[in-house]
Amino acid sequence: MSKKFQNQQHWKPGYNEHDFRSTNERRVTFKTKKSNNKDKGKDWGASIRAHLYDEDIDMGNIAGPSRPGNKYNKKGHRSGSPAPKTMKRKLWEGPSGWYRVTLPYGNKYDKQFLQQTLLEKIKPLPFWPIAWKGAGNIVTFFVDEFKVAEKLHSLHYAIQMPDGFKLIIKVIYGSPNVNIDQELKDKMKLAMANRYNAANKALDLTKFHTDPILQDGFCALYKPIILIAVIEIIGENIPDLEALCLNDNRIQILTFLKKYVEKLKNVRILHLAHNKIRDMSMLDSLIGMPLVELLLDGNPLCDRLKDKALYTSEIRNRFPKIMKLDGIDLPPPISFDLAEEHTLPPSSQTFLCNSEGGTIVRQFLEQYFQLLDSDNRQLLVQAYHENAVFSLTMAYPYGTKDKASNWLNWYSTDNRNLLRVTDSDRRFKLLKKGHVSIVSFLKDMPMTSHDIMNFKVDLTVFTSLMLSLTVSGMFKEIKSGHKHSPIRSFSRTLIIIPAGTGYCICNEELHITNATEDQIKTFKSTPMPPPPAVIVTPPQVSIPNALVPNTSVPNAPLIPEFNGIDDLTKQRMVEALSAQSGMNSEWSTKCLQETEWNFDRATMVFNELHKQGGIPAEAFVK
Amino acid sequence: MDSSLKGKVDQACRVAEEFTKLYYEAADKRRHLISRLYLDTGLLTWNGNGVIGNEKIQKFYIELPPTDHTLTTLDAQPILDDAVNGQLTYLIQVSGTVKYQERTPKTFQQNFIVTAEGGKWKIVSDCFRLQEPISEK
Repeated sequence: MSKKFQNQQHWKPGYNEHDFRSTNERRVTFKTKKSNNKDKGKDWGASIRAHLYDEDIDMGNIAGPSRPGNKYNKKGHRSGSPAPKTMKRKLWEGPSGWYRVTLPYGNKYDKQFLQQTLLEKIKPLPFWPIAWKGAGNIVTFFVDEFKVAEKLHSLHYAIQMPDGFKLIIKVIYGSPNVNIDQELKDKMKLAMANRYNAANKALDLTKFHTDPILQDGFCALYKPIILIAVIEIIGENIPDLEALCLNDNRIQILTFLKKYVEKLKNVRILHLAHNKIRDMSMLDSLIGMPLVELLLDGNPLCDRLKDKALYTSEIRNRFPKIMKLDGIDLPPPISFDLAEEHTLPPSSQTFLCNSEGGTIVRQFLEQYFQLLDSDNRQLLVQAYHENAVFSLTMAYPYGTKDKASNWLNWYSTDNRNLLRVTDSDRRFKLLKKGHVSIVSFLKDMPMTSHDIMNFKVDLTVFTSLMLSLTVSGMFKEIKSGHKHSPIRSFSRTLIIIPAGTGYCICNEELHITNATEDQIKTFKSTPMPPPPAVIVTPPQVSIPNALVPNTSVPNAPLIPEFNGIDDLTKQRMVEALSAQSGMNSEWSTKCLQETEWNFDRATMVFNELHKQGGIPAEAFVK
Repeated sequence: MDSSLKGKVDQACRVAEEFTKLYYEAADKRRHLISRLYLDTGLLTWNGNGVIGNEKIQKFYIELPPTDHTLTTLDAQPILDDAVNGQLTYLIQVSGTVKYQERTPKTFQQNFIVTAEGGKWKIVSDCFRLQEPISEK
């Protein structure tokens, strides 16, 4: 109860003297159906309603122009005599600070003329009509200041138009329902872009609804849905925003912001002056913002908390780093040494345990990912040791909301996550063993385009015997059946050993996940250099040095010199083709020979011929 | 050949399970003991920062904000003999989330090379990366 009393005090001091209920015959009735009006806190309930002297005023979100225009006649104000015979009813200050003005025959006149007329009449008050709309004969618009509303109210029947008609002006408090569509969102973006200061990373949304771009619509930040849309635009477009000014927006409620605070995680300066925030608890939803400066002047809560020390400590409880409150520098808080703030060391993109390893690593990665992103991954067979092992794990990153558009289904079949796969046979089976089966798997994987510029590279072991290399980064998945090519994040751990004059991979663990929103923002599509000639020729040709862009480096090709596929590899390929196609080894050999030991082509040729029935039965006799 | 490999793979998986349990418990709650998990000359690379030597690694860890790791995936393989001269060595890769000081969890990937030395498993190299863009600051 006490809360309600407080609200009344804030309401209007003259409440008791001007109680209309005693002189007006209309009785106060409480509508039962008005509760679609969630914007207002519960505190408001009865005390607000008590101010309603006209049961016709719908407290709810008045549905704009659809309000019937014949109310007037029903009440009889205009029936019979054109002269106003009723005394003017007093306009009360509404809780939202918004007033709806209706000019029942206003649409007869030119909009500009009408606006000019009103502007002159209410001078020196500013006239800033929001969401001006003409429908039929009726014009409606909204104003956000009580004084303006009051003045307009007093002008009812007081303005004579050139045709002799006296302008009817109805003013009530309330605001329209708003829907956000793409068009409005685009306008908001444009208005925000104009109000953004990139140098200071500051966004000034003072009196947002009066922005010329937005004036036609009802874009008031006091509507939660508008404020949420604004924060979402911030999250998508200026996530590193540091200062946000929301002064003079009649904002009342903040509780719904709890879910959106994450999008304002860099905002250190927040101005909320001259809004309608009534209670300190409203700020609870902003806890977690790293605020150092806060402006709350001109909100009812400041009047309620007269004790400055208490006010400061209430704010500091919520935002411990506050140094400046309502323009006044605060003394630093006294804290315990133990509670010291740890910070994470800065990251760096590359770590090389041995600087000599840099060139080798770069060349190796360039060649490897160029082949991986090409349409002939078969060539990667040379990058693997014949007994190499390979395994894959996948997971969705923390906090993924929309899995459906970026399913990682393809990778889940081979996911060798030991936390889930506990059977030792299965663990063994999921390990790809030998270069042929590894490359066969790599070929089956969706096509990729890697963002090489953003790779993070760690060379952790570099000896004459082996290298241990970790590469992580992003790739775009191409032609994998997704509506939009998904951006994946990966981490590959490679154990690499010298082989011949080059190097080859003997162990590889690949982890695939979706890129996070933050990562995607940095994704750069690196156009691949034109495919080297080697791609179109059979793989018996060694990978020429031309593959290595920096030919001044004396190092030999990283992938071993390669003059024809060695017999063991051939044997493995035959085995693999035989297993895949069901043909015996003689026919598999034949098939591979005819396709010049290109495993891809061999399987393709086999599939084609088999479909047409061109492979004799004897080929399948083992 | 396959059966001997299978035995090695099996063992690698079991060691990886036990190792990661001990490692993340030490990282989250018993950092003053974490140096024991590394070779004297072990290497930690943390988001591209290299720290060499088990004592220095422990110091680095102690200075990190309090952590709480949760694993999502685990993978392990025996490293081929050719690379390690036949010394029993495993490659372990992990992904999961880590909370720093009760903040929002961050996704990370980490891998280890673990080798048997004097009857104990020791970390040769430990490579940690948060899954986030490098900030330009």
